[in-house]
Amino acid sequence: MKRAAAWSILLVGMIYFILPLVGMVEFSLSMKRGIYSFEAYRVVFADPQFRQTFSYSVMMAVLTILFGVLLVVPTAFWVRLKLPGLRPYVEFVTLLPLVIPAIVVVFGYIRLYNTSSWLPMTGSVTGTNLLLLFGYSMLSLPYMYRAIDTGLRTIDVATLTEAAQSLGAGWFTILAKIIMPNVLVAVLSGAFVTFAIVMGEFTLAALLDRPAFGPYLQLMGANKAYEPFALSTIAFIITWACMGLIQLVTRLTKHDKAAR
Amino acid sequence: MSYLTLSHLEKSFGPARVVKDFNLTVDQGEFISLLGPSGCGKTTVLRMVAGFELPTAGGITIEGRDVTRLKPNQRNIGMVFQAYALFPNLTVAQNVGFGLKVQGAPKASIKPRVAEMLSLIGLSDLGNRYPFQLSGGQQQRVALARALAPKPSVLLLDEPLSALDAKVRVSLRNEIRQIQRELGITTIFVTHDQEEALSMSDRVVVMHEGIADQVGTPFDIYNRPATRFVAGFVGTLNTLEAKVLDAAAGKVTLGGTEITLPAPLPAGPTVTLGLRPEAIRLSAATGPQLRATIKDVDFLGSVIRLRADLAGQPIAFDTFNTTRVAPPKVGETVALGLDTADLLVIGA
Repeated sequence: MKRAAAWSILLVGMIYFILPLVGMVEFSLSMKRGIYSFEAYRVVFADPQFRQTFSYSVMMAVLTILFGVLLVVPTAFWVRLKLPGLRPYVEFVTLLPLVIPAIVVVFGYIRLYNTSSWLPMTGSVTGTNLLLLFGYSMLSLPYMYRAIDTGLRTIDVATLTEAAQSLGAGWFTILAKIIMPNVLVAVLSGAFVTFAIVMGEFTLAALLDRPAFGPYLQLMGANKAYEPFALSTIAFIITWACMGLIQLVTRLTKHDKAAR
Repeated sequence: MSYLTLSHLEKSFGPARVVKDFNLTVDQGEFISLLGPSGCGKTTVLRMVAGFELPTAGGITIEGRDVTRLKPNQRNIGMVFQAYALFPNLTVAQNVGFGLKVQGAPKASIKPRVAEMLSLIGLSDLGNRYPFQLSGGQQQRVALARALAPKPSVLLLDEPLSALDAKVRVSLRNEIRQIQRELGITTIFVTHDQEEALSMSDRVVVMHEGIADQVGTPFDIYNRPATRFVAGFVGTLNTLEAKVLDAAAGKVTLGGTEITLPAPLPAGPTVTLGLRPEAIRLSAATGPQLRATIKDVDFLGSVIRLRADLAGQPIAFDTFNTTRVAPPKVGETVALGLDTADLLVIGA
């Protein structure tokens, strides 16, 4: 009886989550009257604006991940190793992006870095791209920091560092050869979440007027019927592919087998 | 000239002085143990030698070179940790070769050195395994090989046997000592286990509240403890209060028996004497005899430990188990023999 109830709850839950997805995919395949086809996807892929915005966002996502990793891994490592008393404060700072809306941040950026300011970053494409990169890094900071900090918690950072130091290793070697490989799965988790955030982000990109995928999605949603559903399906597949990659990397990392 | 010198070493963490005026000279190839209870400062001394802690005062020299302010990676010191600290992402062979690699040794020389080290620890076949695929004892052997591979000037062992089970601990401590002798490497070993310290070391430093209470050979530490702490911490010791009859002549009464000690005593109405359980004999025919009432008998197999009452003072002693003689019974009064030379006058 209990087992039947559990299965029923699971089934209801699955229907609740899966049915809208099925509806979305079904609608995206219904562009041609009376038959299922990939016409909406063909139209989307044929749109040069899609290719442009998608590749721009992928590039920004990769750069954001690189910047985030370079910023967060040494910071989390140092806080854990040398400044454990500062951990609550650092955690608080990393959580701020969750409570400060992106629109506040972007208006702050525009006010501080506009063309008549002391650092006119919005005056050039590179400068604006840089601002967007910093904005994306800030938005992904809570997830990136949490993921890496959790990864660091699973290893004895202090002893491994001291062992490496006693063998002659400097800080760069310790970070690159010992710490990074041991928190790689955590870094990748943070990286894939960052990728998903950047691919769907609208506010920063739209208000900084950058040709990103988020504003393109919004534009299509406002003007077309079937294409936005095809795009949503594509975005959904990208997110799930990222999650699958996390699982794959975890499985392929030999030395992590003991922990599982 | 000594190989490693620690002079007037001090370390404070905030208001707490953890190490106080610590002095030690170590000869090349010597095996020194820092022995003491938790919080006595032994690990802090080791960490200062390794460079992980900066002394508040004092200096450290190795082969005459002042290393006090050098970073840990500039000291050429090998260290083995209690928690193994093997790099989980590297294989056994890569772990052993890590030090050589970061020091820029040519690739051609790393492989044979790693093979040599793995052979030294008897794990030649396990070079391709990851740390999680090894037992605790094997991991600690690999950690030892890793520390020794770059040919360090000093080897530091921070309670390397504490995480292992009793049987592995005994076999590994013999192995460590054998390897240390074979390589002739100067070694400092930190432990709170007196058996480990006494069995492995050329000299033992007994530490108490940040200072070195006594430095000496295991024989001296055990048989001639310099302070009350050393006497109580190392081995089992009966502490007995005796009434002083004539301090200059070394005459006292202990449990109603008059005893003359071989040396004069400090002035005072009473003196505290120490006596090891194994220095007491049952029914001795010679020497002074103490009369005590048996309170408890612990049969430990080859040895029987007896606890008795000596005129209101507890006293423990051991006797060998023989099939011919039954041990005394509880409540029985026995005569205990001792050699006055075995009586230790316990100082402050």
